[in-house]
Amino acid sequence: MNRSASPASLIGRVVIPLLLIALVVGPVAVVFLATVIGPWVVGVVNSNLGILRFVLAIAGVLLFSIPAAFIIIYMELKVIAYMNLRVGPNRVLPAGAAHSVVAGLKVLTKEDFTPNGADRIVFTWSPVLVFLTAVMTFMVVPFGPGLVGAPLNIGLLYLFAVGGMSVVGLLLAGWSSFNKYSLLGGLRSAAQVVSYEIPLTLSVVGLILLAGTLSIDSIGRQQAGWVWDWFVFRQPLGALIFFIAGVAEANRTPFDLTEADSEIVAGFATEYSGMRFGFLFFAEYVNVFIMSALIVTMFFGAWNAPVDVNWLLRLVGVGPLSINLDPGQLGSSLMAAAAVVPLLATLILAAPVYLLRRHRPAWQALLAGFLLLNLLVLGVIGLAAYMDWDWVAGLVWFMLKSFVFVFVFVWMRATFPRVRIDQLMGFAWKWLLPAALLNLFVTAFAIVLIKSAGIN
Amino acid sequence: MDQNQLGNLWYVVGFVIAGTGFVFGTIALAWLLSHRTRGDEHKGYPYESGIDTFGDSHARFGIPFYIYALMFVAFDIEIVFIFLWALVFQDLLLGGLVSMLIFVAILMLGLAYAWRKGVLSWR
Repeated sequence: MNRSASPASLIGRVVIPLLLIALVVGPVAVVFLATVIGPWVVGVVNSNLGILRFVLAIAGVLLFSIPAAFIIIYMELKVIAYMNLRVGPNRVLPAGAAHSVVAGLKVLTKEDFTPNGADRIVFTWSPVLVFLTAVMTFMVVPFGPGLVGAPLNIGLLYLFAVGGMSVVGLLLAGWSSFNKYSLLGGLRSAAQVVSYEIPLTLSVVGLILLAGTLSIDSIGRQQAGWVWDWFVFRQPLGALIFFIAGVAEANRTPFDLTEADSEIVAGFATEYSGMRFGFLFFAEYVNVFIMSALIVTMFFGAWNAPVDVNWLLRLVGVGPLSINLDPGQLGSSLMAAAAVVPLLATLILAAPVYLLRRHRPAWQALLAGFLLLNLLVLGVIGLAAYMDWDWVAGLVWFMLKSFVFVFVFVWMRATFPRVRIDQLMGFAWKWLLPAALLNLFVTAFAIVLIKSAGIN
Repeated sequence: MDQNQLGNLWYVVGFVIAGTGFVFGTIALAWLLSHRTRGDEHKGYPYESGIDTFGDSHARFGIPFYIYALMFVAFDIEIVFIFLWALVFQDLLLGGLVSMLIFVAILMLGLAYAWRKGVLSWR
């Protein structure tokens, strides 16, 4: 007999011994973890909560920026496609949902090329600077109550100080590429970002006058309550100027002269390729999200829901909701429920599916029932978390509102033509700057009037 | 509070280090994954719509860029003052309003001069 080894025998030779070893080692490892390492880990974590928060905040911000950018890129492809009566990406996953992820992976495998005359060190560092600016601005954006990288008390000042750094990155990218288009693109973006920085910053001063603080966290807290407690209703001109200047700061249409492909190829990114190019555009999409997040945080109620939930609850006659399930108290009945309920619920949910579509095999109906059960459980857990933890509710509202503004950014790209550079610069200095100062003084005057009238 | 705010400064440092590490890590990964070819001498030339490079690639550029940068510096420093003023405005009220009006009026005089001289219209 000279048979080659069949797959089953291969599996038998490798997997079954491993399984046996796992059966022996597994319980020992679990006991060891629970008795020796577990308390030690808990002790270390408890004594280093500050450091743990530090690491988690940084990792959270860095890891969140990746899916945020991918979602915005996908939105840009799909939404503009529908607005142009096209289909858009439709190959990777249903409706092309993973298109931008695959595109990102493609960029990762592209040749990263440095042209001959380029200043290699500066050429590499400028995308780093641009991306770093985006990540560092992310640090002070509150995603929910307490859900912020670092709650600086000089948040707004820090925001504009660090945000201005992106100019350096763009300028260096343009200069180090050793290319006429890049140089022009870099200079244009520097002039544009620098000019719109002034109205962007001045439009917030009216808000500081009202709030009396530079802490973004505190500005968010002051907008709790109903829709009309949001600062946009007390600072409509400020919000408008902030939005326009924010669009220009993020280099988006109609102010995307830095990447005007009909005039200067791709602007400062002309000579870039591979992952360094990827980071320049990664940073751009992160900036779009940051701008939307900032508009929401400062003018559109931050993480607060548009209705006053506590007022509603008091109206119904219920106190602040809290769910108290103590596993120890429920004891064995909880265990029994945990064993029986999923099985029964799966069967019950599968029954209508099986009855309605009798030609389907039973296992498909069972699978459908199981999926429905999971959805149900997720929904119940989500609802409980939403009502019990205010940061979950805050995160939900913050993301909803932010992505509405991201949608507006994308919508504008599909709608508006690009402005000329003289219109761009003239608009910043001749219209936005005086309007921002007007807003500032009208707000200050109103505060003086109200305070001296003694209304408080 | 001071201790807490000082601790927050470590977050800035941490974000700088982690962000830089993330970017360089990804670039290094891309360098490992990507292909590289030598190409001919034209590959390294600065891109100029397909023709060979003409003249100095660090070309000369217009004066307006400098002027806008100068104006930015002036107004940005003004904003630093305005921020501090806005923070304590609730205690200053009318006196603060009048003094800030005078301060901004002087700067507006400068802007009006620049406007009259035609600096603000791009040439």
